[in-house]
This record gives sequence, C-alpha cells and structure tokens, in this order.
Amino acid sequence: MRSFLNRILCSFSVLCLLFAATVSYAAVDAEMEGMEVDSRDDGTFLVGSPTYYYDRRLGAGGLHSESELWSPEKLRQRLLFNRMSPLPSWNPLPPSVWLKTGNELGDLIYQDFLISEDKPKNRTPILEGGFRSPSFKGFWVTGRGFQDDHFSTRSFSYRKEFVDDEFALFGENYPMFSSMYAGFGYGAGQVNASVLAGEEYIWIFSESSRWIPVHYKPRVETRVDVGNLETTVAYEAADYQNKKKKETGERKEWNGSLRYRCGDACRRGILQLSAGLAFRKVDDSGVVYTRLEDDRVILPFMELKIEPARALAAHAMFAVNDRDWLVQDSIELRPAAPSGAGVVLGVKNISGTRLNPIADTEEFFDGDTISLTADGQMNLVQGYAAFTDTLGNLEIGGRGSFWAEHGAETFDVDKYVTDEDFVYRHGDVDRINSWIKGVTGELWFSAWYQEMFAFKALGGFERIDGNESRFEVTPVEFFTSFSADWLLRRSFRISHSLRYRSDAKWNLRSHDPLTIKGDWFWDATFEQRFPLYGLYLTGTLLHVIGDEVVETPNGAENRLRFVCTVRKTF
Amino acid sequence: MKNLKVTLLLILSLAACALAQSGASETLAVDSIAFSKFYVSIEGGEKYPFGNLVDAVDNAYYVGLGARYAYWEDFDGIILFQYSYFEPHGKVPHIYGVHEVSGKLGLDYRWKLISPLVVGAGFLCNWNRADYDEKNRPHFESQGGTLTDNETEFGWFARLNLPVFTLDNYRAGLNVLWEQVWTLPERSNMLSVGLYVERRLW
Repeated sequence: MRSFLNRILCSFSVLCLLFAATVSYAAVDAEMEGMEVDSRDDGTFLVGSPTYYYDRRLGAGGLHSESELWSPEKLRQRLLFNRMSPLPSWNPLPPSVWLKTGNELGDLIYQDFLISEDKPKNRTPILEGGFRSPSFKGFWVTGRGFQDDHFSTRSFSYRKEFVDDEFALFGENYPMFSSMYAGFGYGAGQVNASVLAGEEYIWIFSESSRWIPVHYKPRVETRVDVGNLETTVAYEAADYQNKKKKETGERKEWNGSLRYRCGDACRRGILQLSAGLAFRKVDDSGVVYTRLEDDRVILPFMELKIEPARALAAHAMFAVNDRDWLVQDSIELRPAAPSGAGVVLGVKNISGTRLNPIADTEEFFDGDTISLTADGQMNLVQGYAAFTDTLGNLEIGGRGSFWAEHGAETFDVDKYVTDEDFVYRHGDVDRINSWIKGVTGELWFSAWYQEMFAFKALGGFERIDGNESRFEVTPVEFFTSFSADWLLRRSFRISHSLRYRSDAKWNLRSHDPLTIKGDWFWDATFEQRFPLYGLYLTGTLLHVIGDEVVETPNGAENRLRFVCTVRKTF
Repeated sequence: MKNLKVTLLLILSLAACALAQSGASETLAVDSIAFSKFYVSIEGGEKYPFGNLVDAVDNAYYVGLGARYAYWEDFDGIILFQYSYFEPHGKVPHIYGVHEVSGKLGLDYRWKLISPLVVGAGFLCNWNRADYDEKNRPHFESQGGTLTDNETEFGWFARLNLPVFTLDNYRAGLNVLWEQVWTLPERSNMLSVGLYVERRLW
C-alpha cells in the first residue's frame, strides 16, 4: 500500500511540474495501424501479438474485451477468430507515399564479439511501405506492403515447425502477420468505391490457446459507398496447414456487409434509424481448424436513436438471426448545467446469446471439438454518471459507474496440455451463471494552450466482485496516466505518455493463473513537420521503462522498440 | 524504479525544452524557412569505441555524405550517411570485419551563446553485416554469428559542429559526434571525430 501511495504521490508531483509546460495535441503514434491499444492507458491492455490482445477500458462494464464485442461500427474491421480487429487494416489511406521501419531494441551487433554463449534472442523489425496516388478525374491507385515482426521471437522456433515455408512475404522471422495489397478506387460526389487484392499471412489465436497459421491467397475486398449506403464484399481463399501432422485444409470465404446510415435529414429528426446486415459464407475442405455452423451466417441489425428532447437521448442496436441475438442500448440524460460544465446520467445494457454472432462456432483441437458458443444469454447492466467543468484552459472531470453482469462468457476447462513452453486447453465456451458486480471511478484533469500544448492526467479504480477463478481475465484494479503533447513552432511535435497499471491476471489459460505484474510505461513520439511540402518525419519509442514480460498466455514479450516513418502527402 | 527516475528526468528536460521554445518567435512563418537553404557535405574521420565496446572492435575510419537544411530560424535539420569497416578487437574465427552503414536524422541548434559552435542531436539507424569466410560461415550461436546476417539497430546521437573556414557557398569544419546504439546486453557507445566540407546548393 505504501508503495502504491508513493507511486501516486510521485506521479502527482510530476503532474505539477509538467503542468506549466505541457498538454495533449495528438497521441503517441502506434507502431502500426491497429496497434493503438499498446499505448492505451485507461484500463487493461495486454498485448501478446499484433493479432491478439486483451483490450478493456476500465469502466466499460462486464468482463469482455472491446474487440470481443461485435458492433456495426466494426463492419470494416477484420474478424480474427472471434475478435474484431482493426489489424491488418485494408482501409485505403489518404493520398501519400510512406515508408516505415523499426525494431525491438536489443540486437547484439558488436556486443556479439563479447559473447559466445547464452546470447539474448535476436530482435525483430517492423516494415511497411505504401502509396496512394492523388485522384485523377476521381480515380486513384494504391499499394501497401506491411508486416510486424515484433512479438515473434518467443514462439518463432516453435511455430516454424507448423508451416512449410517462412510464412511471410519478407524475411525469416515468422511474423505474426504479413500483408500486401494493391488496387484502385474512385471517389466523386456521393460515390466512393475501391477494389483491393492481395496476399496475407496471419497467425490467429484460438480458444485452445494455439496459433493457427492462415495464408490468404488471394484476398480481395471491394467497397462501394453511395450516399448513405455502404457495402463491403470480400473474398478470401485461405490455406490451413500443420506440417507436423501433415494436415492441410482450405477455406473459401465470402464475407461482407451492407449498411444504411442515418443521413443529414434523418439526423435532424426525433427518430434516427440505420440498418444493415453482415454476412459470411464459407466452403471448407481438408483440415480447417474451425467451423461455422451451416457454413453461413447472416446477421441483420438495426440502430435507433430517439431524442425527444435535447437533454434526453436513447440509443439501441438490435442484431438477430436464426442462431443468436445481440442488443446494445443506453439512455442518457444531460440535465442543464452552468456554462462550461456538463453532467451526464446514463444507463447502459448489453444482452445477447453471443458477443460476436458472426464468429465461427466450433474449434477442432487434438481430437476435441471445442464449442465456441454457450447456452443461455448474458446480461450486462451499467449505470453511470459523469461530469466535466471547464475554467479557461483547464478542465476537470470524473465518471463513476456500477455494473452487474449475469451469464458472462467464459471457458469451461476440461484439461490442460503442454507442448514445449506452450500450454493449451480443452473444454468449451461457457457462462458464469451468477452475478458479477463492479464499481468504477475515474477522475481526470486537463489543461491546454492554443494548439501548442495539451496535457491530461487520468486516474481510475475498479472493484469487481464475483467468482474470479472463472474470469478469463481479472482486469486491473487501478491505473494512473499522464500524457502531454507539444506542437513547437507549429512544426515539431512531441507526444508522450507516462502511465502505471496495476496487476492483471489470466485465470483460465494455464494450470496456475498467469499474473501480469503492475508496471510503469513510457511512450514518446517526435515528429518534424513540413506542412507546406506535406512531409512528416516521425520517430516513436514504445514501452521504454516497462519490464519486458509476456502479457498474454502463449504470447511474446512486449519489448522496448523504436519505429520511424517518413510520409509525404499529396 | 531507477528507469522511472531517469524517465522523469527526461520528461522534465523535454518540458524545459518546450518552455524554452514556447518563448521563441513564431512570427516568421515556419513554411517560409523550411528548406529555404540546403547544403550537402562530404565527411571523413575516425570512430572510437567506448565502454565495453573497446574489447569488441578496433577504431575505424569512416566516410560520409551529409545534408543540412533550414528548419527554423535557429535550427537546421541534418541527415547523415556514414560508412565504416570495423575489425574485431582480437581474433574472431572466420570473421574478418563488419560493414557498417549509419543513417542519422536530427536537428542542429545554432545557439548564439556558443557561436560559431553548433550543437545537435537526433536518432540513428545502423545496418551491419560481417565480412566472413564464405566457406566457413560462423554459426548463428558462435561468436559474432548474428552478424553473418543483415542486422539493423537504432540509437541516438549528439554532436558538436565547429565551422572553421567559411566562404560564400562553402564551409569546412570539424564534427565531434557521440552515438549510442540500443544493443544488448549493454548499450554500444562510440565517439567519432571527422572533418567535413560543405557546399550550399540554394
């Protein structure tokens, strides 16, 4: 406790010192699009790989991570097993040409002449290059190659036994993903359309805790947006293999979505309505390690917003099909408050038979069939109150909530098996059919000066009561963070964040729970800007002072790393 | 906890720099200065390993190309590319030496108080590959074995730049540069001292 108090006191002394000179303008750059969670400081963010992490904001309510929960906002994210992932992103980037490289710091170089045994593991890089042309009569072309070799060394020599080549577009580090696409698009007036085609290698993490290698060749994605109507269709020819067992399989999949968004006229009305559907159709042959029931899923959904008065708004999202249903809704009241202040009182609910109704329904592991669905339903209710008050360039705010969840998704473990340094589990997805209750509190303080600086101090705690031994992850109890962003002379950016999170624990992926000890972290971005020329030179240091530990079961160490980017916009 | 204290000191330094810069004039549009002057240079000198690196490699000569461009009124951007060939200190089986290409990107500060001396700092990226006996390629686990493949590592540098002769479009001077590469199990430090000749292009 004394240690904790010391840390808090230490942190606030830093806060006071920095207050005079700092604030938030932009966040620390992620090492790659979709890896923003690695620098998040407002909850439990445990990264085992670019393709697998646990991400839960403190105060979100419930035990699930954000990426486990399906929502219409994620229609253009990637489905990696049962998680919606922004990575690998096939969102066409704005017109520009860019190059990125970096490394997990700690190669030996000349130190190698001083060591002849027990060498530290070699570190691995990150690589990305791409372009998107300016528009010519509405038409543009794009191409992008990107792979993140970070987080690969711990399981590198183990995973390479499962595949018959380097399983990457470049190099021999067996990166957790490697992707390349090219294509063209058209944008004018109410129409935006694109067609991208490429090849991709991904290691997907499953409920059994194993990494499944999937090779997409080709992957083709088309997007057509006309007015308020958005459509996406992707075709994926995926190869599966396990060289150790001489198994191969193939999945040909069509997936996509259709969405009608509430337009401008609609948004001015009392009742705002959006609707759409998501779909997947698969055709499996050979040994594919997961299965989608009936080889297809269609998930229609509808979103409603009712705003009978400016102070009162109700949101609701319904998604339902012949197997599952999912509802997310909230009611918010914003009572009148003095100028510069704001108060929100709200109630949120999430109910459903499955957090992600479009994910596969079974996993096959060593002769066992793991059911990825559970009988019954989950119900999460959360009540919350938040306030902010602004005085000149200072703002203070807070948010408190209580939540209760019944039927939370978990895993009923039959047995664990070990292979070398890796632990796997047999069993089925299950529910915690008892109430789990939580209470949360967050306070923040921010200050800013024009566009030159912004600063934010944030702290939060959460107390959860329930059958912890059945939680997949026991989230952190508290965190504190300080972030500052400077834009010096409108052309040099420094963004950094210093933060602490308390212990988190994985309870169900190994015989003994895996505790991720609390730690301090510091990330920083330095950027030279030449706005007239559209040129940006960026260097980012990540995970500078934190211990380099494994944050997810069968994952890899989260290491200190440096990434630099050159970008020229058109 | 030691790391945390170092980080806090670094953060305070950043805050101090920010405060110092916040007082500087912003009246002159940044865009009118950036790249308004551009210089290229050639450079040569010697690199001296420091710390435990003294036992790893010997001193080595380097040659380099550089570019300098106006960034702010009192700051220049610098880009350096340097090549060196390091020989191991003592015999390492089947390895004759190591090629090193170093790329550096940073800022020079023309601080009036110490003029004409200029101080600079930035990030660096080194590429290394061993020059080894092809018929007896060292195993990865053997001494120096990782260098038989392409290796890159990042780090930071600080430098002093002393112009000695200045003509209309030419300048010659001395560069003293300290660099630290973020290697394991220890960081690798080197000092380089070199002479340069620079020409203004515009």
